[in-house]
Amino acid sequence: MRPFKFTPVTDAASAIALLAKNEHARFIGGGTNLLDLMKEDVERPNELIDISRLGITKVSTILTGNHSGGVSIGAVGKNADTANHPLIRQKYPLLAQAILAGASAQIRNMATNGGNLLQRTRCPYFYDVAMPCNKRQPGSGCGALEGINRMHAIFGWSEHCVAVYPSDMSVALAALGATVKVRGTAGQERSIAFTDFHRLPGNTPERDTNLAHGEMVTAIELPPDNFAGNSYYLKVRDRASYAFALVSVAAALELSGSRIVNARIALGGVAHKPWRAFAAERLLAGKEATEANFLLAAAEEMKSAKPLGHNLFKVELGKRAIVRSLQMAMNK
Amino acid sequence: MQQAKKLTGMPVDRIDGILKVTGKASYATDYPVKNIAYAVLFKSTIAAGSITSIDTSEAEKVPGVLSVITHLNAPKLNVKGGLRGGALLQGPEIEFHGQHIGMVVAETFEQARYAARLVKVSYRQTDAKVDFAKLADRAVPPKDRGMADVKRGDTAAALRNAEVKVEEIYQTPIEHHHPLEPHSTIAVWEGDHVTLYNGSQIVNGAQTAAAATLNLKPGNVRIVSPYIGGGFGSKGGQWANLVLTAVAAKVVSRPVKLALSRQQMFNSVGLRQRNIQKLGIAATKDGKLTALAHETTTHVAINSEFLEPCGDCSKVMYDVPNSLITYRVVPLNIILPTYTRGPGKSTGSFALESAMDELAFKLNMDPIELRLKNQPAVDPSDGKPWSSRSTIQCLKEGARAFGWEKRNPVPGKTIQGDYLVGYGVACGSYPARQRESSAIVRLTAKGPDVRATIELAASDLGTGTHTILAQTAADGLGLPIDKIHIRIGDSDLPPAAGSVGSVGAASFANAVNDACRKITDELVVKSGKQFFVAPTAAQLMISERINSYEARVDAKPPVSANQYSSHSFNANFAEVWVNRSTGMVKVARFLAVTGAGKILNPKTARSQIIGGNVWGIGMALTEESVIDTRWGNFITRSFADYHVPANLDIGSMETIFINEEEKFSNTLGVKGIGEVGIVGVAAAVVNAIFNATGKRVRDLPVTPDKLL
Ligand SMILES: Cc1cc2nc3c(=O)[nH]c(=O)nc-3n(C[C@H](O)[C@H](O)[C@H](O)COP(=O)(O)OP(=O)(O)OC[C@H]3O[C@@H](n4cnc5c(N)ncnc54)[C@H](O)[C@@H]3O)c2cc1C
Repeated sequence: MRPFKFTPVTDAASAIALLAKNEHARFIGGGTNLLDLMKEDVERPNELIDISRLGITKVSTILTGNHSGGVSIGAVGKNADTANHPLIRQKYPLLAQAILAGASAQIRNMATNGGNLLQRTRCPYFYDVAMPCNKRQPGSGCGALEGINRMHAIFGWSEHCVAVYPSDMSVALAALGATVKVRGTAGQERSIAFTDFHRLPGNTPERDTNLAHGEMVTAIELPPDNFAGNSYYLKVRDRASYAFALVSVAAALELSGSRIVNARIALGGVAHKPWRAFAAERLLAGKEATEANFLLAAAEEMKSAKPLGHNLFKVELGKRAIVRSLQMAMNK
Repeated sequence: MQQAKKLTGMPVDRIDGILKVTGKASYATDYPVKNIAYAVLFKSTIAAGSITSIDTSEAEKVPGVLSVITHLNAPKLNVKGGLRGGALLQGPEIEFHGQHIGMVVAETFEQARYAARLVKVSYRQTDAKVDFAKLADRAVPPKDRGMADVKRGDTAAALRNAEVKVEEIYQTPIEHHHPLEPHSTIAVWEGDHVTLYNGSQIVNGAQTAAAATLNLKPGNVRIVSPYIGGGFGSKGGQWANLVLTAVAAKVVSRPVKLALSRQQMFNSVGLRQRNIQKLGIAATKDGKLTALAHETTTHVAINSEFLEPCGDCSKVMYDVPNSLITYRVVPLNIILPTYTRGPGKSTGSFALESAMDELAFKLNMDPIELRLKNQPAVDPSDGKPWSSRSTIQCLKEGARAFGWEKRNPVPGKTIQGDYLVGYGVACGSYPARQRESSAIVRLTAKGPDVRATIELAASDLGTGTHTILAQTAADGLGLPIDKIHIRIGDSDLPPAAGSVGSVGAASFANAVNDACRKITDELVVKSGKQFFVAPTAAQLMISERINSYEARVDAKPPVSANQYSSHSFNANFAEVWVNRSTGMVKVARFLAVTGAGKILNPKTARSQIIGGNVWGIGMALTEESVIDTRWGNFITRSFADYHVPANLDIGSMETIFINEEEKFSNTLGVKGIGEVGIVGVAAAVVNAIFNATGKRVRDLPVTPDKLL
């Protein structure tokens, strides 16, 4: 690990100012991702600004604005506390399920919500500094493109990067249409729609998100919705706990009788960002909630999949996972 | 004074349990050595070739750095000293990716690790041989004579003329041992004498190899290893890191600590080789085996050979007139494979016992019945009688306890909601041996307070050696267990065998038992009295008012050991639930029934068996180390990529020990359980998956994608 300065802060403004001043500084939340990457020499910050004591940890009902009636989640709140909060359990069980499907109890107790959103890929070529990786070292090449890519993307990849984004929490947030609240250097706040928060790799795989250096995630806002009764997070993985997804699906349905008013489907483990299955969603809107329609929707979404050398199975698995998660959302 | 009940055979709690859970048991790097410096290794990033230059100038500038040691300035070592795997910094040659090429020694661990990143290395690369799949057809017979072809009868003809046969290829991937405690060492020099605190499955072996490599007499090296955080074979033979710690300490003239990181464990301390096993089994229509061919192709290191004996179980499990066991090897630029729990038997039994299941299915016969029908009366490989063999009891008692009769023989037919349910069975065996070990018993008495210290250079991998030796001594001396002090894991103590090849319990406990007998006999003679009821050593110490007395034995296996074939045998039963949509597998129930002679402590023994079972389930479902053949590096470098089963993957685990009398292989009748617990496990799981789904997977691990 390279030597670094450790600066605890107690207010957001000074945290942001400190970060903005130093392009090699990073915020540290729970440190469960950043410290691992520093030990591996992948991340090389010279200063850590500890935001874990900022106090922006609350889960609360939004009372004003266009998300009124929704719920706001503080960025420095712990993953475990968020998943177990009564508001989340009652109104957004999909989010609680997704968070609890990730990592381990110990890690969820340390991990912050903001840190979870900004966790980096688990691609082994990214993690091993002896390997080429455009995300870690732009221009060095993508080790996984022609390499071992069983865990990698089937949607939205580019020849520069085929990594997948690993967060489970974010898959549910994408399905639920969350908004990320961000505070900038001049104290200005902006909101980023969840689907615009993470990026596809394109020519700049080194950039995971559309956050600018110096910006801080302060909260995540969930709009009010009618999904709580019919949602499910399905995570398929190589073992039953403590493994990243091969494919995961956050499925949420708003029903009128047996007719689908509104369908939300997001996939994890398949792209450089949580993959909203817009094609499947469109196909389901207004249709009967039947297995046949679920199959059609899943097939429609997977049409645009582009598997790599070792992950053809994700296409079939993705289909099955979409169908199964929708069935589970119907409580079947 | 004399305890009423015998302690051996009782489920006594670990005597070192409290020490361990309170952190008071000292593992290798826990010793509070003053003025210590830290070494961090750095490794090659090519698989074959040589180093053309190493620039250490940046690293040397880092505050706190004491020395950067590479092949350019490392002291001369004896590379044939008996360490495994080379990588001793003696030259520029690179034989595998991740070979040690140097180390930084610094005031703090963090400084050393940081500086190690700053070393710049240039290489001249040569063609690396790493692609096993591509090179397997160029495999040659191994150099090891013990691995030469073994033929009995005419297997080819019997297979050709078979009424029913199975001929399939079974593949197992590279696995890593990954003990909880990564390999770590503290080296402390005093003059030309070095003490090495280092987890060592074979204390005396570590001592002689370290001494020879350092060009010292064995007496100049002391190994201290009372507690070991697991090893599974990777701490049997020792690797370069042991001696490099001593080298670093010599160079900086201070004690040095060197601990491998988890990432470094993938290419520092051996691995379980990848195997391609071709099985051919022929049988008559009514299920009598007529031929068994087991041909293994695997890889060895580019300049040294080790291969696990995958055909071993096939030699002893079944009565078959025609048999063929062969090995072929490809030297590769991959670290030397080494002993890994149940070497050869765990992977070999996967192939053999899968093929038996396939045969049973073809014969439309219950797989238990097929096995019962082909039990050999004597060891088919050498004609020796079995010292004891309980395979039949294991199968029958296991079937009853597991509810085997509920199994639907038709695959894919048992559905529970989202899941397909299946049952599988598979057998296993592991040789039982006692090896020479010495032991000293020291008795002291203060009035009625008699205490014993037992000393031998045995090792405890976490398996319970301390406890079973204390039980044995308590019974042997007539003392309560809390009066027994066990001193093991130190090369200054009488030499002993190692915790390897399942010989530990038989070798150590018999030595202690013999020593207790000897001291008792001597005390009787010393008393000059005759006794109607034989007194215990403890009683004699009191009655004869002796303050201290000691005896030493050099224990050997009995002569009868050689006249019999001696193995532990088991039968494994698995119930799996396979998710119909996702292919995820849960082992809902697992039962291992084992016949292993005298069980010294059913509690620690159960832990050994279920530990082996979990690893076997890992072999079946999750564990695989993957190499990128373009570079020859492992891309599975952490527990996020290398999966061992987690709690949710396995439901209930049951263990039954057959009440087996073993009279010939050693005095106590102990056959060893360290390895047999993993043998046959993967096959039981995979056979259950077949029963659940109708899909036969022949390349491990069975990840969800293979069941879609
Ligand atoms: C072994 C292991 C297994 C795991 N398995 C899973 C899994 O199955 N599923 C899953 O989803 N996750 C998994 N994780 C990842 C885990 O969820 C993340 O490590 C965790 O959520 C990160 O949160 P943190 O607070 O510790 O982030 P940190 O490590 O502190 O920070 C991560 C990044 O976020 C930035 N950051 C933090 N807070 C803010 C903020 N408020 N504004 C702007 N930037 C910020 C930091 O600068 C840093 O770059 C696993 C992790 C481990 C170690």
